[in-house]
Amino acid sequence: MAAYDEAGVKLYALSYDEQDALADYAEAGGVSYTMLSDPDSEIINRFGILNTTIPEDDHPWYGIPFPGAYAIGADGTILAKVFEHNFAVRPGPEQLLAAALGNEADFGQEAQAVDEVSVEVSLDGDRLPSGVTRELVATFRVPDGQHLYGEPVPEGLVAATIELDDTPGILSYTPIAPPTSPLTLSGSGETLEVYDGDVVLRLPVTQNSRNTTKTDEGRFVTVSGTVRWQACNDVECFLPQSKEFSFTVEAAFPVLADMGPGEGRVPAMNGAQHFQKMIDRRT
Amino acid sequence: MEIELDTRGGQVKEHQWEDAEGYIMPLPPASGPRRIPRHDFPTGPDVGEVLPDVVAVDQNGRTVDLHQDRAGAPAVLVFYRSAVW
Repeated sequence: MAAYDEAGVKLYALSYDEQDALADYAEAGGVSYTMLSDPDSEIINRFGILNTTIPEDDHPWYGIPFPGAYAIGADGTILAKVFEHNFAVRPGPEQLLAAALGNEADFGQEAQAVDEVSVEVSLDGDRLPSGVTRELVATFRVPDGQHLYGEPVPEGLVAATIELDDTPGILSYTPIAPPTSPLTLSGSGETLEVYDGDVVLRLPVTQNSRNTTKTDEGRFVTVSGTVRWQACNDVECFLPQSKEFSFTVEAAFPVLADMGPGEGRVPAMNGAQHFQKMIDRRT
Repeated sequence: MEIELDTRGGQVKEHQWEDAEGYIMPLPPASGPRRIPRHDFPTGPDVGEVLPDVVAVDQNGRTVDLHQDRAGAPAVLVFYRSAVW
């Protein structure tokens, strides 16, 4: 978690596991962040995120939360939260770190004005483990006097978006965009959602391990698509623009907990014993 | 809130099922810990609210009060299902 330390952001992970299970896990995995134990799901309940679709007598599954994460600012207020429907998917650490820092773009030294909209596209991470999202980031530099637009847009105008190709095995989740200001057009009465100044759009993506390409160097996936936008000034709109992107990254499998004998499992955290203890304590 | 379970998916082979997005799992959809919501579900305090207090024991047995521990730094709090399974 070097990036977190460098940025001065603290990381906490909470579950209903007992402290001794967390101790074994942290040691086996070399964990440097804080793992918190909520064995009676008291905190999970207080946050209001207990998974109530699980019957109370279904042990040890009852007591787990709807999994998700909160990014909080220096004053303790929640800046962003990420809760996806699919429990196989979780936000990558880069995505949460960016959220805790306010999702700002780092434009670096160049504060020079640009003549026309320019966009840089990157994938925030060099590996894509199955189910862990990394963000596609489109950073737009917008000239003074011009604006980009968010959806919904009136007929004939192209909103600024990151469009992913429909590649099997590649999935995208809730896009993240800065707030817009509504502008009502006097003629039609329609409302435009206007982005102010430079814009950073983020699209969390991952792969489900069903469509990886194997080479001598390992397994890879390709994340490709097109960034689209259309800029307008107070008088007129310019032609819609687009920029294609394609990133080929290492596809990894998630690390599985050690539940006992099986193929490809990570050893050394006494998983089966802790699992049995969790059932015994509840029944 | 009435929470509808996502039951989409199917069996791929023995001991292997897939969900609606093609992720492989060792249990059928909507069973055990894989009871995932199809539509709305509660996600806790909202953006803009102060994070509620979190006081719990950490992996070393130390009691941690999150807001005190972060000492004015930004932070990320992840709620996950289990480190054991």
